[in-house]
Amino acid sequence: MSNLADGSNPTHEHISQVLRENRVVLFMKGNRHFPQCGFSAQVVNILDEFLPTYKTVNVLSDPALRDGIKAYSNWPTIPQLYVDGKFVGGCDIVRDMHGSGELAALLSEGASSGGSPVTPEAPKVHLSPAAVGAFKQALGEGASEHPRLHIPANFEHELFIDEKQPDDLEVQADGLVLLLDPASARRANGVRIDYVTGTGQGGFKIDNPNSPPRVQPLSVKGLKGMLDRGDTFELVDVRTPEERATARIAAARHLDDEGFEYLQGLPKDTPIVFHCHHGMRSRAAAERFLSTGFTRVFNLEGGIDAWSNEIDPTVPRY
Amino acid sequence: MSHHDTDFQGDIVAAIVSAIRSKIANSQAEVSGGGGHYTIAVTSPAFAGLGRVDAQRLVYSAIAHLMAGDAPPVHAVDSLRTIVP
Repeated sequence: MSNLADGSNPTHEHISQVLRENRVVLFMKGNRHFPQCGFSAQVVNILDEFLPTYKTVNVLSDPALRDGIKAYSNWPTIPQLYVDGKFVGGCDIVRDMHGSGELAALLSEGASSGGSPVTPEAPKVHLSPAAVGAFKQALGEGASEHPRLHIPANFEHELFIDEKQPDDLEVQADGLVLLLDPASARRANGVRIDYVTGTGQGGFKIDNPNSPPRVQPLSVKGLKGMLDRGDTFELVDVRTPEERATARIAAARHLDDEGFEYLQGLPKDTPIVFHCHHGMRSRAAAERFLSTGFTRVFNLEGGIDAWSNEIDPTVPRY
Repeated sequence: MSHHDTDFQGDIVAAIVSAIRSKIANSQAEVSGGGGHYTIAVTSPAFAGLGRVDAQRLVYSAIAHLMAGDAPPVHAVDSLRTIVP
């Protein structure tokens, strides 16, 4: 690839290093769990069928990289897949190679680092007796269809009744067949499906140990408890300076440029609680921090308004 | 797919076809799409002996000026096929 790498360019050097250190690398928009473009999502979905792990690089996090990778490969679009340091193609080519079986062959060749491809096999999924009963009741006698568990890259689980497809994997449970497509099966090992009945209607409950961290809702009472106990965490106010002048929670740090820099320097497992006026803006901020790798991210439900209302009436409402 | 705005004035499909035909020898191009997203199929003897990546690079370089900038007329090529006659 002598035509590609220009040793004097730091972005090219960075790309070369990533390619040397990882057998399979996908330059994409977003990451494996939060693809931010349909083409990137398609390639992730294909790779997830074959590989337990692979390296992804989010080009949206660095404008120099976004342009640099296009120059590096002389290829004008994102995503870009590399295997063993060689450019394989974009979404279109990866899709073709998947269909023809070339991709499976390429990924299993000399697999060493970066995760070895595995022929998909049925994952271990546990269905509770209540879940099996609820499925059987929904299907009725002698049904030709089966429940399907679909797990997309963002782990928004879906359960529905469907026909069997040729490449489906099957999980057997007490006479019931659960269908999973190969990419979903890759993400399903250790899943537990239960059926819970509360007030009124019942519903399926899916617990997946492979799910990425999510923004966790936190009540104002929960926050009060954390402050009273002296827990170690960061409380972050995402509102405008004008709103902060009107009302503020004393312990909260403002998410201005300085606050942002400070948070980015913290260990990724630092608990961070975000708050705003009612809990919407802070949820968006919390999602962004989660996507940059923080794992313990909380959103204060109801925001400072709930705090004034339920915890500290001396904080003005507005 | 989402719609992408552009400042480009004129028929984008015609501009893609004409760019390909002028830059790839003896080529024929079929182009469809809109809103920044296009599907392109190009037939040319110039692709003979080229791998898929190099053949597609030839097409991308022919339309590079239509994909450059912040609001380019061609935002994404949904599907690109290169065919040797």
